[in-house]
Amino acid sequence: MPFSKAFEELEGITRWFEEGSGDLEEGLKKFERGLELAQVCKRYLSQVENRIREIKDRFSETVLDGEETLDRSP
Amino acid sequence: MRILHVSEYLALVNDVLRSELPSEEMTVEGEISDFRISQGKWVSFDLKDDGGEAVLKCFLTVWQMHVPLEDGLRARVRGCPNVYPRYGTFKFSVQEVELVGEGALRRTYELLKKKLQAEGLFEGSRKRPLPRFPERIALITSPDAAAYGDFLRVARNRWGGAEILFFPTPVQGRDAPARLVSALAFFSRMSEGERPEVVVLIRGGGALEDLHAFNDESVARAVFQSLIPVVCGVGHERDESLCDFVADVRASTPSNAAERLFPSRVDVAREVTSIVRFMEDQLTSSAAERHRLIADAARTMTFALERNRGRFEISVRWLNERTSSWCQRWDERLRQQERVLGSVDPKRVLARGYGIVTDGRRVVTDASTLASGREVTVQLARGSFEAEVIRVNGRGRQKLL
Repeated sequence: MPFSKAFEELEGITRWFEEGSGDLEEGLKKFERGLELAQVCKRYLSQVENRIREIKDRFSETVLDGEETLDRSP
Repeated sequence: MRILHVSEYLALVNDVLRSELPSEEMTVEGEISDFRISQGKWVSFDLKDDGGEAVLKCFLTVWQMHVPLEDGLRARVRGCPNVYPRYGTFKFSVQEVELVGEGALRRTYELLKKKLQAEGLFEGSRKRPLPRFPERIALITSPDAAAYGDFLRVARNRWGGAEILFFPTPVQGRDAPARLVSALAFFSRMSEGERPEVVVLIRGGGALEDLHAFNDESVARAVFQSLIPVVCGVGHERDESLCDFVADVRASTPSNAAERLFPSRVDVAREVTSIVRFMEDQLTSSAAERHRLIADAARTMTFALERNRGRFEISVRWLNERTSSWCQRWDERLRQQERVLGSVDPKRVLARGYGIVTDGRRVVTDASTLASGREVTVQLARGSFEAEVIRVNGRGRQKLL
């Protein structure tokens, strides 16, 4: 699940609580889902590195046929 | 002596002028005056010496004019002398014009800036928002520039897990504008699923001539045409470039570009924590509210029960009172009946000395029903005896005595 999706859903749940329908059963379900999403977010946030991929463009000698390719950089 | 037509002669003049004054070998420098553009296509100006009388009438098309021109600027022009047969006028056909002198670069920059601004390239209304949590971004810069390291370092300090598509390009020198344009076009051409969410265009600071690639009209237009929002961060805080103005987000430095683009993981983590706490609070207060409701309901019910119990007790008391007086009446009546029954009890009559005569099972109350000689039973208060009827109402067997 992408971070933005998880975070947006979490915000949706916050809005639900802010509007305060007061349904305890529903609230409990939302709360459990919220905890799950918070876990997903925190796991994502614990990532330290960004992945960098270098693109060899048509000027680069590695690609002579003029097509762009994506190379994985170490 | 040759006799020539006018057109033949002018063609000859032009041939001689071009071969004797080849454009590759000489440029003419002077001050621009009477600059004008007609029909949006034809550019003309006069090139003059400082304070001199000499005037070179110059002519070119707008497509040959790569720098914006203005009266009063010093320029070097390269081109061919030319006599126009139709008007018989001499003009200089310009192939290339370049501004020179003190502040020329600054003037060129200002003029281009004004032009692009007038065209609406800097319009705030076309600026696109950046994603809140970028997952796939493009980075265009030179791997040798400090900007590259600064950007990645700040990005890493703030955020992790993003994919950075790095397109290495020179950021200065002759090739730089073309390479930057091609890098920007490359990302715009990617399929929608593959396309990064943002393009980051950065380089370190420098003098105006170092930043020429970021002030190049073609690069500025490529930024404008990018299908992906562009964050531009050039040089130090004070530096500005045309790309900065065209970009969707203008960062003050390459580090600032990373700051503008990536949220801080610390801030976001804090927000997640506070959301969880908020949910807990809401749930707890919602539970407390329900608890209070239940307690209220219980209290209401107890009160109702209490009130009903009171009413019930009153009913019971009422019933008790009613039933007891009712019972009393019945009691009296029973006693009366008892008394009545007691008074008619045959046993009590017998006790007074009476007897009951029965003929078989029939109580005899009328003597005439008996015949003499008939045996009857006489019941007394204590015991009974059998007797024979001798006379009935004076008739029957005579008395022996």
